Amino acid sequence: MAAKVHKAIQDAQHQGRRDLDLVEKTITSFNEIPQVLSMTHITRLNLAHNKIRVVPPAIAELVNLESLNLYNNYIVELPTSLSGLQRLRVLKLGLNRLDELPRGFGAFPVLEILDLTYNNLSERKLSGNFFMMETLRALYLGDNDFEILPAEVGNLHNLQVLVLRDNDLTSLPKELGQLKSLRELHIEGNRLQVLPPEVGLLDIVGPRQIFRLEDNPWISPIYEQLQIGTNHLMDLLRSANYQSVYARHVQAGGAIPPAIHDKSRKSSRRKD
Amino acid sequence: MVLDHHHHQWTASPLVGNYADDSTLEREGFDSHDPILNSQGEAYHEDCLVCAQCFRQFPDGVYYEFEGRKYCEYDFQVLYAPCCNKCKEFIVGRVIKAMNTSWHPEHFQCELCGRVLSDIGFMRNQGRALCHPCNDRVKAEAAGKYICYRCKAIIDDKPLKYKNEPYHPYHFTCSNQDCGRELDSDAREIREELYCLRCHDKMGIPICGACRRPVEDRVVTALGKHWHVEHFVCAKCEKPFLGTKHYEKKGLAYCELHYHQLFGNIDFVSGEIIEDICVTALNKTWKPENFVCWSCETPMDERTKFLEMDMLPVCKRCYERFPGELRRRLTRHYEAAQRIRPLAPESTIAHVSSEEYERSMVVSACFPRMCFREESR
Repeated sequence: MAAKVHKAIQDAQHQGRRDLDLVEKTITSFNEIPQVLSMTHITRLNLAHNKIRVVPPAIAELVNLESLNLYNNYIVELPTSLSGLQRLRVLKLGLNRLDELPRGFGAFPVLEILDLTYNNLSERKLSGNFFMMETLRALYLGDNDFEILPAEVGNLHNLQVLVLRDNDLTSLPKELGQLKSLRELHIEGNRLQVLPPEVGLLDIVGPRQIFRLEDNPWISPIYEQLQIGTNHLMDLLRSANYQSVYARHVQAGGAIPPAIHDKSRKSSRRKD
Repeated sequence: MVLDHHHHQWTASPLVGNYADDSTLEREGFDSHDPILNSQGEAYHEDCLVCAQCFRQFPDGVYYEFEGRKYCEYDFQVLYAPCCNKCKEFIVGRVIKAMNTSWHPEHFQCELCGRVLSDIGFMRNQGRALCHPCNDRVKAEAAGKYICYRCKAIIDDKPLKYKNEPYHPYHFTCSNQDCGRELDSDAREIREELYCLRCHDKMGIPICGACRRPVEDRVVTALGKHWHVEHFVCAKCEKPFLGTKHYEKKGLAYCELHYHQLFGNIDFVSGEIIEDICVTALNKTWKPENFVCWSCETPMDERTKFLEMDMLPVCKRCYERFPGELRRRLTRHYEAAQRIRPLAPESTIAHVSSEEYERSMVVSACFPRMCFREESR
């Protein structure tokens, strides 16, 4: 296998290619592919389906990188230098084992698509500047451990896609209503009972929009409208009646529904 | 409004002292050899005719007298001469006292038109000194009214605009010889002539779809209407096309960037406009080279089978490598969604060429391709 890896790297070098695909090569560490870190001309690096645990600080040497794919690895640790990649627009870290993000992670200057699906992240594990990435167009946080979505999400005014599927969210901030560009919102599989009325301001229901909210313990007015259709749900959210329903619900502060699914068997929890 | 208009003539003017001959001697007496100064019939010792402020003799014998005291030019100006509020220089001679300050006569001007006000009077308007015509105009504007360009009186009803100036409509009659009726504010201007609305409509001049005024120069015809070149603009950014390519959609016109931004010809991955073939799938549009498996980035075409996760395409091979519990959860959500939206259409891929977009006819020549979900176990 190692020979194949080296051949792939050499081919890319000889052909002067700007992208490098090393998918499913059973690579466990960058130490096995040290020459990659000196290929500073490449713009796309794809290391999906390997067994890499640690991304070394030297990744920041790849100054021309626009797209970095580390989907389905064993990554537990990222270097703080990662956010120094000045041209990185697409970063895929889905299906890994991240418990936290490095300090200053939000410093990417032009990052547009960030995929952190299926890790062990929560609002307490994000970097302080996470929601300062105003260039983000799509943010994938499905299958993580968020209980609260920080209000600073309202800063991401270019956001078109926000995925929060299968977290432990118990509430959503009213600042979601500030995301004027949003046309996809996925909140299925959480512990949500109500939606802030501001969600009614979003342009997420229509033939070119996506609003997924199944598998939540919704209060009955929301559940009933949902059965007829999301456009009816939006009408409800915009109604004066719902404002008071929502206010009463928040004020009452009733019992928070328990977590739905057992996450102990997620592969992101594995320590091997 | 208070008429606040004072002229104040300053009385001091330079006087010149002369050496006296031997005649008028006063008070202390003079020795015969003392030089004697004579000023306005009074004789002084040379050392006594000095400035009341600096006690020095007057340069060139010039001094200024104020309330019985004599000053050299410098001290007089410092102590008493007023300063012009405009040029900040001392004023000698005629002084205009107005607006709680002093002015050279030629520097007291209308703040709007600059006319010298010293001899024509002025009106105080919001802390400004204005000439009467400017004051009337400002007052009319504040009341939302115009001043007639001909008779200079306030126009109480709707004005008639002619060559960009407002008029009382009754100053004009219809330019059509056979009509000649007195005009009202509905009258229209064509080639610098005014016509009543009836006569105007009979002449068949195109009306701009934006400003509703006649188009006399270049006419743009689009969207079934006529437009001034500068009024035919992008519905989003409102910049005029000025002859460049535009895109029409639902009765509105857009520039290239905003048409693509609003109607989806933006590649999801690069954020760039798709010029050529466009793949439409999963609620997004993609450049064909960027429509790849989200996970392994293997290229896909309309024959590739893929599955959907969070509205992203995942090839079958990658999906099968996902953790089983994740796949089961995705399936469960999908089934829940199906119960809510039983008629939800399957995701399809459509190829549409840019040429078709340019004609803004999105041909529905789609190639419906499957996007299947894993069967529940």
